Amino acid sequence: MNNTTKEFVLKYGIPTLAVIVIAVHLFLVNTKNLSKWKGGGYGMYTELHYFGNQIYIPGMSLDSLLKDNQEMKKTLSCLMVMPNIDNLNKAGQLILKTTQKDSIHVQIWKPIVNSKNGHYSRVLIDEVYLKTTGF
Amino acid sequence: MKYLTVIKDTLKDQIALASQLLLLVLAAYVFTMAEEHRRWKTPVLFIGLLSWFFLRHRIKHPIIWITLFVLLAVDLYFKYFWVANHHFMLIFMVLSVLIYSYHKRTDILLKNIQILLVIVVLTSVVQKLMSTQFMSGDFYYYMSNRGVLFRNFINFFPEKLEIIKSNSKNLFDLHATDPNIGEHIVLKNILPNLGLISVVFAWVTVVMELVVAIALLFKPRSVWTHLFFAAMILGILCTRFETGFMALLAICGLYLCRNLYLQLLYVLIVIGCFILILTKLGFH
Repeated sequence: MNNTTKEFVLKYGIPTLAVIVIAVHLFLVNTKNLSKWKGGGYGMYTELHYFGNQIYIPGMSLDSLLKDNQEMKKTLSCLMVMPNIDNLNKAGQLILKTTQKDSIHVQIWKPIVNSKNGHYSRVLIDEVYLKTTGF
Repeated sequence: MKYLTVIKDTLKDQIALASQLLLLVLAAYVFTMAEEHRRWKTPVLFIGLLSWFFLRHRIKHPIIWITLFVLLAVDLYFKYFWVANHHFMLIFMVLSVLIYSYHKRTDILLKNIQILLVIVVLTSVVQKLMSTQFMSGDFYYYMSNRGVLFRNFINFFPEKLEIIKSNSKNLFDLHATDPNIGEHIVLKNILPNLGLISVVFAWVTVVMELVVAIALLFKPRSVWTHLFFAAMILGILCTRFETGFMALLAICGLYLCRNLYLQLLYVLIVIGCFILILTKLGFH
């Protein structure tokens, strides 16, 4: 490597890495619904925090599912930060397996707020209905 | 007078000073994150500390920086989607200093820091412009009515705290209901015309950040650039104690600034943030 190239790489190599991380973040935000708060895209404080998202399973309490279950915590955290259909299916499958129910309905909601009238409500991001396939 | 001269001399060697402060903030950050993934971090710390005690005068590698960098990398690997955005910035800054200890070229280090800083601030502007929730003022409106912004000032007004408490209770009650019913609540405003104030505040934030990013790109050593940049950092700290991120921005400012008074201001910001992180009054 000649000196000019070496100097160029040393000067702009690290900033280029930062740009790559940002590009990956933007890609995941647009394709996998990643929260802007996470993933190194410097989008914090631009939208409501993903902690405001709500996983809703009719007839079931989340607290009981999360109690002493690290795998469940990890899977549901993933769903909160990246609420897409893949993560919803993963969470649904795990809940189905853990609760040993015949079928399950899982929804993920996000909060919306309107500064003109002060309304705060929730909108559905996605939902799945799953059934056990075993005989 | 003798002490003033010593302070001036210390500030003049800004690369060394900024790197020491970065090491300080980095150590505090790594310490607060140390409990997570202990299985991996324990051997890294063990090998790092042993190497530093026995080999630091024998080998030329920056053992402490390498050890701390590996610890940051462990967190990044296991918690890529959960670490804060400044974790990424910290990694890039540490990497810049680490490589600097080999090439020893000040101009390259400063270029790394300058471009990195411009990218971070400019990306933040673009993210805000792309967010309808932010530009419509809805985001600031919600955060203000929840007492997340300007909390340290709001504490002096008990009637505002009551409104915030009432909003929090209403939200908690709403979240306990079935979202399929389609219920909503109306947030109580902590200030009259908060909707309008939120839109103005959103635009002021974007314009301020954009001015800083452009100034840092074209005039990274100018006094005016650093006046704006320091004002932006202090403004963010007044809004919310984002001490971890602001300490890193101030360290970047210290690397680039040549004015002794502004350098001193950056040092005060970093030390202040460091203390707030240690005492857990601020966010790490």
